[in-house]
Amino acid sequence: MSPLEISDKFISVIQANKGIIYKVTNSFCTNEEDRKDLEQEIIVQLWKSFNNYKEQYKYSTWIYQIALNVSISYYRKEKRNKAFTNPLSENIIIFSDESEKNDTQEKTDILYRFILELKELNKALILLYVEEKSYKEIAEIIGISETNVATKIGRIKTILKQKFNQIKQN
Amino acid sequence: MEDTEIISLWKTQNQKIEQSLSINKRLLVEAINHKAKTALQSIIRLKIAGIISFVLYLTVQISLLSYAVANYSSALNYFIVSISAIILINLKGFADYIKHLIWTSKIDYNGNVMEIQHKLSKLQMSIINHTRVMYLQFPFWTTFYLSDLWFPHSVGMPYIIFQFVLTGVFIYFTYRVYKVLKVENLDKKWIQQLMAGSGGKSVVKAMEFYKEIEIFKREN
Repeated sequence: MSPLEISDKFISVIQANKGIIYKVTNSFCTNEEDRKDLEQEIIVQLWKSFNNYKEQYKYSTWIYQIALNVSISYYRKEKRNKAFTNPLSENIIIFSDESEKNDTQEKTDILYRFILELKELNKALILLYVEEKSYKEIAEIIGISETNVATKIGRIKTILKQKFNQIKQN
Repeated sequence: MEDTEIISLWKTQNQKIEQSLSINKRLLVEAINHKAKTALQSIIRLKIAGIISFVLYLTVQISLLSYAVANYSSALNYFIVSISAIILINLKGFADYIKHLIWTSKIDYNGNVMEIQHKLSKLQMSIINHTRVMYLQFPFWTTFYLSDLWFPHSVGMPYIIFQFVLTGVFIYFTYRVYKVLKVENLDKKWIQQLMAGSGGKSVVKAMEFYKEIEIFKREN
């Protein structure tokens, strides 16, 4: 493939999986500036790894692995490092319909808030769970056994249910 | 709330959001053409600035040593031994610094989360060994200015005692630091302060996360 074909292919892969990047960045960042910065970092890292993409994995698995790894590392970075970045002025992934965002955002806010409160590794797990990834695929992305995935997801679900019930009672 | 409710809440709302998402192709092309400066690149820039400082520092020291060797007299023995030791320690520090830079630039996020995060935490924690070695030069900074033209025969007992105490204190301090500056002691406040100049906070964070990964990996 020529360099132009490779970059076209990459753009089409990102286009088809933009939702993954959006959901991951939204689950790790509370403010818009950080989200934009993280989104950019994920895309750069995806591009850097694109040549090493192994065909035996689905594109979504590959994107999840890189997006989660970059997000977890980004989350741990000191602020002084972030201050040296020169983020793009706009978002790469944008909402074409702002009214849709406002309408739906309200309903998912509670769930996003709960996910945001979780520790990074649990956050990664639950994100894959709500995306209905199989335990096998989650185990592959995270790097733990399927049994371990099941146990941990069970525990996080109990916490989430308790929090939802508390809200209902209030 | 049931499991299916959590999933369906997520699915319904995110499906609508996904339909409204679009890509700013111009920005995407800019990002992949490396016009965007990433956080990792900023760390690499910091390390390159560190390398330049190291090179300048070593150049000055090596020039001084070369001058002393070229104009050798026994009066320069303390200076030659001390500066040689300082240069050797700094060369080791310099090599570690470059090694760290190469590792940082080779980070590939393409792998399972546990494996990559484990590697990244270890990489950050490796700074501790670099700092540990750098502290070894401290005692030599208390001896390089001595000369056998005046030390010890031309100075009084109080100065001799002062010099021994000074060098002794630095040797003891260096020994203590070298012994305790280990990952497992990073929870101690004073160790964190010693590491402050070498990105102490991020090393502590890395260690905490490393522990978290170890716990997370355990089956329970």
